[in-house]
Amino acid sequence: MNPNIRRRCALLCAAFVALFSVFSFRLIYLQVIKHDAYAELAAEKHGYRQIIYADRGTIFDANNDVLAHNVPVETVLADATRLNNSRAVVNLLSDELDIPADALAEKLNSERRYIVIKRELSESLAGALRDKLRANNLRGIYFEHDGSRIYPNGSMLCHVIGFTDFEHRGIQGVEASMDEYLRGQDGYRYVERDRTGQEIVPYRGQERAPRDGYEVHLTVDLALQNIVENEIDAAMKEYSPQKATIILMRPQTGEILAMANRPNFDLNLRSKAKPEAMKNRAITDMMEPGSTFKIVAAAAALNEHKFTPDSTVFCENGLWNFGGTELHDHRAFGYLSVRDILIKSSNIGAAKLALGVGEEKFYEYIRRFGFGERTGIELPGEINGVIRPPRLWSKISITRIPMGHEIGVTPLQMTVAMATIANGGKLITPRIVKSVTAADGRVISSLSPVVLRQVISAETARRIGDALRGVVSDRGTAAAAAVPGFTIAGKTGTAQKVARDGGYEKGKYVVSFVGYLPADHPEFVGLVVLDDAHTSKPELNYGGLVAGPIFSRVAEKAARYLDLEPHEEIRKAIPLQPAQKNIPAERGRPPRRAAPVERVALTNASHH
Amino acid sequence: MSSSSRKNRNAINAASLARWIVMTAFLALAGLSYVYLTLQLYHLGERKKAIENELASLRTQNDVTSVQIAALTSRSALQRRLKEGYLKMIPISENNIVRLTIPPHPERENAIRPVINQSGTR
Repeated sequence: MNPNIRRRCALLCAAFVALFSVFSFRLIYLQVIKHDAYAELAAEKHGYRQIIYADRGTIFDANNDVLAHNVPVETVLADATRLNNSRAVVNLLSDELDIPADALAEKLNSERRYIVIKRELSESLAGALRDKLRANNLRGIYFEHDGSRIYPNGSMLCHVIGFTDFEHRGIQGVEASMDEYLRGQDGYRYVERDRTGQEIVPYRGQERAPRDGYEVHLTVDLALQNIVENEIDAAMKEYSPQKATIILMRPQTGEILAMANRPNFDLNLRSKAKPEAMKNRAITDMMEPGSTFKIVAAAAALNEHKFTPDSTVFCENGLWNFGGTELHDHRAFGYLSVRDILIKSSNIGAAKLALGVGEEKFYEYIRRFGFGERTGIELPGEINGVIRPPRLWSKISITRIPMGHEIGVTPLQMTVAMATIANGGKLITPRIVKSVTAADGRVISSLSPVVLRQVISAETARRIGDALRGVVSDRGTAAAAAVPGFTIAGKTGTAQKVARDGGYEKGKYVVSFVGYLPADHPEFVGLVVLDDAHTSKPELNYGGLVAGPIFSRVAEKAARYLDLEPHEEIRKAIPLQPAQKNIPAERGRPPRRAAPVERVALTNASHH
Repeated sequence: MSSSSRKNRNAINAASLARWIVMTAFLALAGLSYVYLTLQLYHLGERKKAIENELASLRTQNDVTSVQIAALTSRSALQRRLKEGYLKMIPISENNIVRLTIPPHPERENAIRPVINQSGTR
């Protein structure tokens, strides 16, 4: 072979070897050295960690009626790297989703890859949008299954149920307090997509199924709640109070059967609600309880054996000067038994009972009844109330606190205190959550009644209960709270409204009634509180005359619903003549007389 | 001459040929099976996805229906219907109720007897 040709062949071979060596080195570089980096890049491009959202748990009432559940909706997402025609996508989405085109374009041009375009789109709208995107061959828009919270009963029980934010986190009520159980756990799945954005199912990676939220069952009975809501609405219409609260509770177990507050709001329209309408005033507002608090003074006095129910106390004929300050009764009472101090609601009598017990001991009983600390109900935002220790009391505090002044309690605390009397002296933690179950019915958590302590002896509780029956009698301050066929034990309260800047608001009162039925074997304790009720005449603005009849109507309907048997002998009553009823004064004012009160009484009502 | 040409001709090794044919056929079959099974995998994946979508759609429909049932049977809705006259409710009078529970013990003597308040009923 010609040496020239041979040389040329050798050079060509060398060139080929060099060229392929470069290719080989490049291949080694790409496939071996940069393998991980490129594999990651490819995975990032085609792979996607798809979140599988867990459904939030349903909330039920005591009878398994749905209070809160989810409606399926879709979240519209854009993958900015996969948009094949941004302008067309923007035009279509802005028309379909009613989003300004400029805002949408700006959103899509942001540096983020995944962009949430719209949340909580209904299934039907999402389906229509999906079809249009497909018809126009537009890519890069995805839909994620999600759920929106729906409350079928609207405003009913709104403060108890609460609501969630757009990320499904509980914000208020049971939605917030039981969020841990309701929320569930989202799952995920690693998927790969082809160039059209469709999932390549055989390349599915690791997957974890979601765990749906647990179901929460409340102690509230919607039928009783309905009764309470109707009556509180009627009261709002009749008296136009600034605020109102009604609570029904089962004393033996602490179960809250109904809880309603006004003002309220529609849970499905919560974005339009005013903040003051969202407050659960039964646990977040405090009030001076007025004469309902006399049960604490009487219970302390009897339990400490300083007095018996028949012990008499001189009530200074309606005016007592103590510590340089006058204390009035609504009527001039001479000697009253402890029982009659409650029945007649004597401020001076209650003050003397507390004095008999002593400051420290009386304070101890106040605290033992649960005042000044949260009850522990499963609702967020509960306050302690204000009970000052004796070292901070003034000279006259011992005479004012027994009549429910100088202290701040929540309506729920007052209900719990009355439940303690109804429950033989046992203080029970109020409960709103009955149980937590999984979707298959498995019980995750079942809450049992919690007896906190024996506040007073069963005998003392029975004696106080006996006295409280007299309150709802022809001799007591709450004749209008009576229910045909049932014995009621209860106590009225009328307290001048505390001004925000201190002192009291003139002519404004917080009227209340707290009682239980039947008095012998209580099935429920009820509390009615109206803040600044407007009556036709100012002298009618009293707990017994405003809150008492509301309690009566609620209790009568509740008793019928609970199938409590009325007593025939209590039903057989004759009407009393419309009488000039003495207005029970817990306001420290001289006695007055009010308009006649229509009522009926038993012929043989005993007087003691 | 004829014997030498016979000698020069390549003899066919039937056994080897058969072995190669079997191996080739096996490889071809394996290749085809691989392609077929891969296609089947994609196809089944598509079907799986379609069934998943169908299941999700049925779940969604079920959820939507549950929401509608809950809304239509809620207390508020029933109350509204009652007001509108679509529902009628008649209270059961006391004399039509038969109770099987043991009546509570009678009140003690000397106890305070309550009143009843007829005007309290709304």
